[in-house]
Amino acid sequence: MEQLLVPMICKIDKVIQETPDVRTYRLKFKEEGLMEKFNWMPGQFVEFSLLGSGECTFCIASSVTRKGYFDCSIKRAGVVTADIHTLLDEGDEVGIRGPYGNWFPLDDIKGKNLLFVGGGIGLAPLRSLIQYCIDNRNDYKDFTILYGARTSADMCYKEEIKEWQENKSLKVILTIDRPEESWTSNVGVVPKILEEVVKPEIANTKVITCGPPIMIKYTIQSLLKLGFADKDIITTLEMKMQCGLGKCGRCNIGSTYVCKDGPVFTNEQLKKLPDEF
Amino acid sequence: MSVETIVTDKAGLQKFYEAIIAKNETYAPVEKFGKYDFKLVKNLSECDPESPIAKTMSAKPLFFPRSAKIMKYVATSAGTDVSETDEDPLAGKRVIVGMKHCDARALQVLDKVYNWDFIDTDYQKRRLNTVVISTRCDKAETHCFCTSLDYDVENLDAMDVLIVNGNDGKVYIKSKSEKGIEFLNSGVTSHTSRVTEEAAGEELKKQYTAFSASFRLKMDYKSINEKLSKIFDTPEFENVSSNCVSCNTCAFVCPTCHCFKISDEKVKDTGVRYKSYDSCNNGYFTLMAGGHNPRPAKYRRWRQRAMHKFVYYKERFGENLCVGCGKCTTSCPVNISIFEVINQVSK
Repeated sequence: MEQLLVPMICKIDKVIQETPDVRTYRLKFKEEGLMEKFNWMPGQFVEFSLLGSGECTFCIASSVTRKGYFDCSIKRAGVVTADIHTLLDEGDEVGIRGPYGNWFPLDDIKGKNLLFVGGGIGLAPLRSLIQYCIDNRNDYKDFTILYGARTSADMCYKEEIKEWQENKSLKVILTIDRPEESWTSNVGVVPKILEEVVKPEIANTKVITCGPPIMIKYTIQSLLKLGFADKDIITTLEMKMQCGLGKCGRCNIGSTYVCKDGPVFTNEQLKKLPDEF
Repeated sequence: MSVETIVTDKAGLQKFYEAIIAKNETYAPVEKFGKYDFKLVKNLSECDPESPIAKTMSAKPLFFPRSAKIMKYVATSAGTDVSETDEDPLAGKRVIVGMKHCDARALQVLDKVYNWDFIDTDYQKRRLNTVVISTRCDKAETHCFCTSLDYDVENLDAMDVLIVNGNDGKVYIKSKSEKGIEFLNSGVTSHTSRVTEEAAGEELKKQYTAFSASFRLKMDYKSINEKLSKIFDTPEFENVSSNCVSCNTCAFVCPTCHCFKISDEKVKDTGVRYKSYDSCNNGYFTLMAGGHNPRPAKYRRWRQRAMHKFVYYKERFGENLCVGCGKCTTSCPVNISIFEVINQVSK
């Protein structure tokens, strides 16, 4: 028995169909009392197993401040995620190991303006931090969320975004790549909207971004162009992982283990890594 | 630590081995089709503790099995049950004879990755319960280069008991750890005489000098390590890796490669989850769901392999991940030598 790699069993409490290919699974530990003991920080991830199909890495998409459950938002992308979407429904059981990895630098962002820049399913890891910060709203100054998706149908967390829009203390800006008939918000890719519409304040602002690799690349370029310092740009990396423990070697980039030293990095740290992306 | 050295002759060494095998659960190199692998032995005649490095699999599988069961489970619509697998066959008290210094050193290197942050208790248990007996080689083999790396082969203390075949025809058996002293006093050495370390020291030195003069491959580790850390983008990696067929044999025979994968096998409702060897040379190693792969090309994977062994691991854990045993080179179907690769790219 390889003790470190044995998952705990969770029950699926609720399934939310976010978009045609993204589902959010709301999970609770089966064993009594375990859910209360399960503490995580925004940005950490779990190893999610559908026994028989395999194990995948997903970030925890909800905040520890919302008690009694945790969410994993899963996009149908590969073999196991396709099985998850096809086979798993409310009441089914899955294996969970975690939480693993580092988290968003909560001390650094305290007392700052926050700018979240998300794209597609990349909103999932940000959502954990957004919820955390909303629940501790007094610790932060301006609070801006820029979220883009390919089409309006591809937007995750639609209900929650409505709540965010109604919350007077948040500024929410949405965008889609191409015009649609009933769409009244912005149209255009995220970096363009960032420069032309959001025009963020640079001083005293921390930017937290996540999305598809190509979006992250151009968003970081835009942010640097706007004048942000590397250390104020925080992102979370996607990399193939299996053990989550800094052992199996899959997420090695240079001498860094993304699963242990990451997945959250500042752009300053990213620049020091060998250019493998 | 008091160090005990025992002097005997070839016949005495055979008796020493026989006593070990009679009293302990002993693993030793066993021949099959001209290759050797560490197996549980009951008689000295079954095994050859002096097997050649190039033809012997490393002792790694005794600590990190080729394929290990993580757990068994039953998953039905009624619920899921995870159960313990059978007892770990490698966790008991045991002795390994016939290891070489490169193999012993590899365990010292592997300890670092298994014992940082999350501690692999299974690996640790196997390590703690094992007495490692290592024989110093008399002569370097074709692809050996252990003396060119970042460790002191002569004074290596990664083993519990050291055996040296002196040039004077005598055999020196020396304890290298507390565990080793305890082991030598457990009644396995009744046939032999004990001497002080000074008396044996000179002969051990002579043996080492002759051994270290027999190396065909030599390099300056420090300058290679320095150069490699600066040439991530060299196109030379494409040239050196062009013959590679990505068969992963090098990683499987390597005493320090420790990458693994987790896989499931399920028939109807019951299944087993396994942890088994994997390699960064495998094209699927970093392939993500959705098709993104940071290392799609062979040269990128070879670069990862070379850099991880000679730069990254050193940066992270302070040890070189290659021990210079040459097993990968001997086993490679297209004759790629890691020694030549790193020398070529850092030229």
